[in-house]
Parts: sequence; C-alpha cells; structure tokens
Amino acid sequence: MRRLRLLSIVFGLTLLAATVAVAADPPKPDVKGLWFVTDFPSVNARPGEPATLKLKLQNYNLPPERAALSIRNLPEGWQARFLGGGLPVAAAVPGTNESVNLLLRIDVPTGAPARNQTLLLEANAATARSELPIDVVLSDELPARVSLKPKLPSLSGTSRTSFDFQLTVGNDSGKDLLVRVAAEAPRNFQTSFTEGFGSQEISSVPIEAGQTKDLKIKVTPPGDVPAGDYRVVAVVSAEGAKAEAPLTLNVTGQPKLKLTGADGRLSGSAEAGRATPITLTVSNDGTLPTEEVELGGTPPTDWKVEFNPKKIDRLGPGEKREVQALLTPTSKAIAGDYMTSFRASAKGDSSSADYRVTVTTSTMWGAVGIAVIAAALLVVVGAVARFGRR
Amino acid sequence: MTRRQREGSPWTGFSAVFLKELADHLGSARMRVLEWLVLLTGIAAVVAAIQDFRANSGQDPFLFLRLFTYAKDPLPAFVSLLSFLVPIVAIGLGFDAVNSEFARRTLGRVLAQPIYRDVLLFGKFLAGVATLTISLLALWLLVFGLGLVLLGVAPSTEEALRALTFLVIAIAYGAVWLAVAILFSVLFRSSATAALAALGVWLLFSILWPILVPFAVRILVPSELDLAFGIPSMEQLGLQLSLSRLSPNTLFGESVLAVLNPGTRALGLVFPSQLRGAIPGAPLPFEQSLLLVWPQITGLIATAILLFAATYVVFQRQEVRA
Repeated sequence: MRRLRLLSIVFGLTLLAATVAVAADPPKPDVKGLWFVTDFPSVNARPGEPATLKLKLQNYNLPPERAALSIRNLPEGWQARFLGGGLPVAAAVPGTNESVNLLLRIDVPTGAPARNQTLLLEANAATARSELPIDVVLSDELPARVSLKPKLPSLSGTSRTSFDFQLTVGNDSGKDLLVRVAAEAPRNFQTSFTEGFGSQEISSVPIEAGQTKDLKIKVTPPGDVPAGDYRVVAVVSAEGAKAEAPLTLNVTGQPKLKLTGADGRLSGSAEAGRATPITLTVSNDGTLPTEEVELGGTPPTDWKVEFNPKKIDRLGPGEKREVQALLTPTSKAIAGDYMTSFRASAKGDSSSADYRVTVTTSTMWGAVGIAVIAAALLVVVGAVARFGRR
Repeated sequence: MTRRQREGSPWTGFSAVFLKELADHLGSARMRVLEWLVLLTGIAAVVAAIQDFRANSGQDPFLFLRLFTYAKDPLPAFVSLLSFLVPIVAIGLGFDAVNSEFARRTLGRVLAQPIYRDVLLFGKFLAGVATLTISLLALWLLVFGLGLVLLGVAPSTEEALRALTFLVIAIAYGAVWLAVAILFSVLFRSSATAALAALGVWLLFSILWPILVPFAVRILVPSELDLAFGIPSMEQLGLQLSLSRLSPNTLFGESVLAVLNPGTRALGLVFPSQLRGAIPGAPLPFEQSLLLVWPQITGLIATAILLFAATYVVFQRQEVRA
C-alpha cells in the first residue's frame, strides 16, 4: 500500500517535472539498501551445457561498500559462479545509487536428475546484505526448430516473368542456428535466394535464437515452358531440423511472334518500279496460339508493299508460316541500299524485321546510251556518204 | 548533184597511217615532256596519299580507290590532276595533226598514195588515242603497282573493275580533247592558232564554264524565289545541271566520282523523299555505279565521235594542193 502511494507520488512528480521544468532532477526513490536485481529470477538449464543469467547488484542510498558474493544451496556436482566482465568474481563494490552488472553461470553436470533446484545468491556487505533465490529448471535438450512461412505462396505470370516469393524464416529454438536454404524446382527452373533487400545470392543464413529473417526466393522458369501450375518447394534446414514451404507458380501462356526472312536472310534486291517478291517467315515461338496475325510494312515514301496472304488466321505454338511480301520501290528511287521494315502483329504481341533492300535501276538507259553512240557513228557514216571520199 | 561513188576498202592504208603516227608520237620530244609532266605530278599525288594511308590506316573497304581520289595539301588528288593534265596532253598530241602536214607540204604526197582522207583522219585520231591509252595505262599500272607495294593490300575484284572503268573514262575524256584539237588543226592553217584555239576551249570549259553557267541560268530563267531570297528554283537548278553537263570536264568529274566513290548514289538533283529509308554511305554495286554514269560515259564517247565527224566534214571541203 505504501509502495503504491509512493509510486503514484513518484509518477505525479515525474509528470509535474516533465511539464514544469525538464531540467529538474527526478527525485530519488526512498529505498535504501543492497539488492540483486534481475528480470526473471529463473533459468532454464540443460545437463552438460552451461546456462547463464544476467543480473545486477544495485546499491540504493548506501555508501560504496565491499559486498562479498556467494551462492548457497548448490547441489552436489553443480558449479555456479559469478562472472564480472567475463572473469570469475567473488566480491563487488557498487557505488552509491549505482549497480554492478554480473553474470551467473551455472554448469549442470551431465546425468543430473531432472529436478528443479533453487539456488540462493547472497551479497554480504558491512551494513547491508541481499538474498535472491533463483529457480533452475532442468529440462532435456531442446531440438533445433526452424519455421518457414511464405508471404504469398502462389504467384502467376508469364514464362518470361521472374517470380519473387517473400519468405520468413524463423529460428524457434533456444540457440543461434546457421540455416541452410534450398529449393526443389522442376527441371530447368532457376532458383536463387537473396536476403530481404540484398542482391547477394545466399545458400545459408545465420539466425539468432528466437529471431526471424526475411528472405526472397526468385524463380525463373525456362522461356519455353508451357502454361500450367508449377510447384517449387523451398526448404530450410539446420541441425536436423527442417521446414518446407510449397510455392506455386501459375505460368500463363502467351504467344510470341517472330518475323524473319526466309533462311533468316534479311536483305535482298529489288528493281526500281518493279514488284519484287520477298519471302518472309512468321513463326510463333510462344506457348499459346495466336490469332488474326496482321502483316504490314513501313517502306520508304512512295514504295508499295503488299502481302500474300494479308492475314494469318491462326498460328499455333511452334508453328511457322511463309508469307510473301510484294515490294515495289518507286520508279524514282535512286539506286542503293534502303531500309524497310516488315511487321507481324497480333493481339498483345508483334514482331518486326528490318529488311535491307538494294535497289537496282533499269538497264534500259544502258541501251539508250549505246543507241546514242550508234547514232553518232551513223552521223560519221552519213558524213562519209554525203561528202564522199577524196 | 553527182554523187561520188565510194570506192575501195575503208581500211586501205589505215595501218600505215596509224603506225607512222603512233611512232611519231611516241618518239617525239613533245610527247616525252608531256609524259614526264603527267608522270611526276601523278606519282607525287599518289605517294603523298599512300604516306597518309600508312600513317593512319582506316577501315576503308575501298582503300585502293582512295589512292585515286585522296587529296593531301598542297597536292590535289590524282583524279583532279588527270582532269587537268589529260586535256593538255591530248591537245598537245593533236593540235598540229593536219596543219603541220600542210605546212610541211606533205599532205599532198600522202594523199597521192591510195589513202583516203577519212582513213588519214581516222588513223591520226586513233594513233592519238592509242598514244593516250599507252601513257595512261602506264601511269595507271604504276599507281596500281605503287599501291600494291607500298600499301601491301591487294585490291578486290570490284576495286580493280572500278579502277579499270576509271581508266576507260579517262581515255574517252582524252579522246574528246584530241578530237577538239584535230578539229582546230583542220580549221586553222597555223599550228599556233590551232593550239591557242584548243587551249582556249579547254580554258573555257575548265575554268570559265563553271562560273558562267549560274549567271546564264539566272538570265535565261528568272525566278522570283531567286530574286527575293537567293534560293534557286527547280527549273534553274535543272537548267544549271544540264548546261554544266555540256562541258566534258563535268562529265569526266561526275563519272569518275561515281565510279571511284562507291557511296555515290545519285548525280544531280535528289528529292528528300527519294532518300527516305536510304542507308547513307552504303556502297553501290559496280553495275549500278556504272549505270549511274553511263549517260556521262556515252556522252563523252559520242562527243568524240561527233567531233570527228565534224572534222571529217571540214576536211573534206578543204582544197589540198601539193
């Protein structure tokens, strides 16, 4: 009751201090003496393994004094000692209103009966002393346990998507573990693990006791995989413990058009002003049939291009169809190389091919040139005939 | 009008005239001077070009052709030198072809033989062409050989064909000027006058013609666009091109440009719409380049033939006294 009042006073004062003046020192609690302080005065221990407990020796309103530390009620064969700063200590001197951090280390021998014990910690100073009972709960070895939880266990996309699954790996055991990660995927599927936002591929990840870690698994299906559901199992394992998470990839199919020249050749020649047939191949490298494939071209100005057939009604996956483009360069085209592009387009996909056309001009003018020379020779013959020979 | 009947073979005495003239040409001191002039300037241009090529070798697929067209200051390109020197050599060969025979009073004697005038003229003309061919071929082979030795690159078939076409064009160009010179040698009794007249025509076409043509076009086809903004109209450009092509120098320059530079796709006016989609710099196949300049080449050859016909007509009408 008194403590409650004290607490309320302290609370009120703190509020007041906080509202009135921040700089004012909070009033000291009205306690006096030496105490062991710890959050949980109980420790789990396994035979054969050391168990530790963090605690503090707190001095309230006393002058600094030497306090001898001791442990009582220690069963036979057990070892327990105080560690200060990593070394065994037998005494401590906490300053006024200060504390000394200590670590209690308990070694339970193997084969000790599974029985709970209570140890009594003592600190003896000249004017004060403190006692703290500690419950030691003996338990058998806890097996390592890991857990694996996907955030979204099923994703869908096309065969060219890379599927990123977010996973949460937990270490549910009492000790730090190095967790190996792996995935079982169908043939030719590529999987890689990365840390939450990292880019480095990992094969194992250390996780502290009781903690979790976010991982990402990236699954890349092969480009030509047919549509369907694929199962990938992510597996994490550590020291015999294992957890699995089934992941589902819902690969939707899609058509993929490809337009290329016959035998892959993308160049040819055409005479100016004359229609020249060019054989092109339209193929569907995708996983779904495509329908209504329209063919078109963007030739240079005043050129004409016609397709035969103009349209392909249906092209199944893996199918190939030859089409003929009738390209007519304008009669005014100057000789040389031109770029023209052909295009095949269907719903959702299209493909274009750049075709290099070497335009040749008519050789008719060559004949005209020869005729001009012949005419000139005729003039000579005419002159000879007209003026005769002398 | 009584028409004289043609008699005898047109080739009677041709070989005698041709061989004698050829021997005279090849042995003459004048020819030697001209040859050395052409040889030295041509070699200088080519060696300068080769030195530059070796210093910074590029990825030019037509390196050999660049030998002919590469200009390194202060020397002009081999081609420009030829366009300048070939007319001089041709005029030098032909300016006294006929009038010197008059002056030496040998024409009567020659014609007293069973040799017709047309055969005499033809023999003289062809001997001149043969001399030109021999000297140009020698020069061409020298350039080719220098290129092979100093560049260490063998020319491709296409390059060889183009270079050979260039040689043919150069000979045709020389033939035109030879025909001009022989025409004047028939027109004027004095060799000096004939030489001066031929050189005058040459100067007119090589220097004055390019300056005169734009003026002439402006006077012949006035255009508001031209008056207001100084931009020539389509008709003006077309006429200018036609007029400048009257000059053998233009014909030679254009045909050599297209043959030695495979990237040349058109000579003259080109509309932007014709160039849409065209790949710039793509070389033309040899046949297409040849087709492009075929009018120019045939123009040169036909001009030479017509000039020869005119010479014949003038010569026929002259009185020859022994």
